[in-house]
Amino acid sequence: MILTALRWAAFLLVAFAINFPVLVTMVTSLKTPREIATNPTFWIEAPTLANYAAVLTVTDRLNLFAYLWNSFAAALIGAGLAVLLALPAAYAIARGAWGRRVVFPLVVNLRAVPLIIFAIPIYMGFQWLGLLDTRLGLGLILTIVNLPLALVILVNAIGDLPEDLDEAARIDGAGAFTILARIVAPLVRPALATAFVFGFITAWNEFLFGLMLTTRSAVPVTVGASFFFATAGGGVQWGLAAAVMMIAAVPPMLLGLLMYRSISRSLPGGAVKG
Amino acid sequence: MTDLQRWEWGLLATPMVAFLILFLGLPTILNLVYSVSEVRFETLRSPSITGFGNYAAALGDPAFWRATWFSTRFAFVTALVQCALGLFLAVFLAPLLRERPWAVAILMMPLMVAPALVGLMYRLALHEFVGPVPHYAWAFFGLRPAFLGPANVFWTLVVIECLQWTPFAFLLFHMAYAAIPEDLREAAVVDGARPLVLLRFVEIPLMMPVIAITFFIRFIDGFRVFDNIFVLVGSGPGGSTASLSIYIYEAFFRQGAIGRAVAASVILFLVSFVVLWGLNALARRRAAR
Repeated sequence: MILTALRWAAFLLVAFAINFPVLVTMVTSLKTPREIATNPTFWIEAPTLANYAAVLTVTDRLNLFAYLWNSFAAALIGAGLAVLLALPAAYAIARGAWGRRVVFPLVVNLRAVPLIIFAIPIYMGFQWLGLLDTRLGLGLILTIVNLPLALVILVNAIGDLPEDLDEAARIDGAGAFTILARIVAPLVRPALATAFVFGFITAWNEFLFGLMLTTRSAVPVTVGASFFFATAGGGVQWGLAAAVMMIAAVPPMLLGLLMYRSISRSLPGGAVKG
Repeated sequence: MTDLQRWEWGLLATPMVAFLILFLGLPTILNLVYSVSEVRFETLRSPSITGFGNYAAALGDPAFWRATWFSTRFAFVTALVQCALGLFLAVFLAPLLRERPWAVAILMMPLMVAPALVGLMYRLALHEFVGPVPHYAWAFFGLRPAFLGPANVFWTLVVIECLQWTPFAFLLFHMAYAAIPEDLREAAVVDGARPLVLLRFVEIPLMMPVIAITFFIRFIDGFRVFDNIFVLVGSGPGGSTASLSIYIYEAFFRQGAIGRAVAASVILFLVSFVVLWGLNALARRRAAR
């Protein structure tokens, strides 16, 4: 009885502590500028949505929708392309024992390499190709970020399918591409969805490459949000900054809630399997 | 293995391999070339090979070593704290969470928020006039610590990192703990094992592989930390919070020291490669036994 109460107390304390920054930001985003200056507590005297209305209004100086669109487009490319590239390769690795000695370990270990290593030559290459400050360029790099996990998820999923399925199709004369498209891909649809959603969240939340590879027209919302903290012109407008951060944080949180069971299973990148 | 031709399998993997060569292979070669060249932003396309001066510049830079030390210390401390806390929560809260997936969902929420946004959120939370943390520290404890001052900034960053990423460790341990076969527990209890003995001699040994992997993942992520530290304090008072990632970024973008930044990248690449290769060999040997 006492132990159960202690467990609940620990749960509540931890749930509050780890979600603290989001809670603070939410509370602040609902206060008027005057109240923010005088009342730093969790209590809101006069709740208002004015901050949200202000940041969602498009002006010459500020267009939050542009940042959101940049994030969305780059994350869509980053997640979609990673899944598209990983699916056939995963089939070859899981069924053909292809690339198990070099390619597969190499890609999996990419998860553990600090990607800043490649950032400078990629910056130079992008400058050369005209991909700097484009959503496509950012999306291509996010594909690299997402590839390891997508590949592991799909190799595991295909490996779990019974082999008689594609064997039967092969006896009927179907080629590798037909089997992959008609039989394997539909069966691993849940894994495809997990890999895509996880990749989308990762890409949306990415910051380093967004910071390095974009300047004006392809700035993602994680980088755009930091512009609101530039202190030039009379200090930070905390209410607006808080509203922007909430809007930027909500999409991945909702996706995460929707898919959290399958996502939590693939968090360790398959390393913990078995 | 099914009886497709080898070239057919190769063909299936070709798009991914081509993509990797283009976006990782070529940059690696470029890195190697630039690291032994004299290069400025104006001469990017015609680097002149000069030898190992860039490596000497990086290795002779005290800031490089300070960043290496910061990354190592930060990674070790945060990975340790996250694993310890995560393990405690997974075991202590297990009876609550067994039938309550919504409670697990609340505990994994921080993993969905961009670390860069979390860093910005703490600029608000820790702000001396509008932030609730200094307000309550003063109201409850009469304290006015400079959270981001030279004396406290390291531990403030450790706390921020751990609050966001302990859920990662917790989640893996939670699943591993739930996956322990019930008859193993029952057998130990029949033999008279008390809960703590059960934990120490049955459950933790069974979870050990997961704990090791989690520590490794958290160490890596701590070592290459960039986003939250960069937006919160940059390289900090006197460069004291520059991780290796921040060091390389600043050498390149702020100081225009391309050669030194690239040389530092190559050094980091080689070290990662050797460490990962060693760990993989170790894992293979253990698996073979």
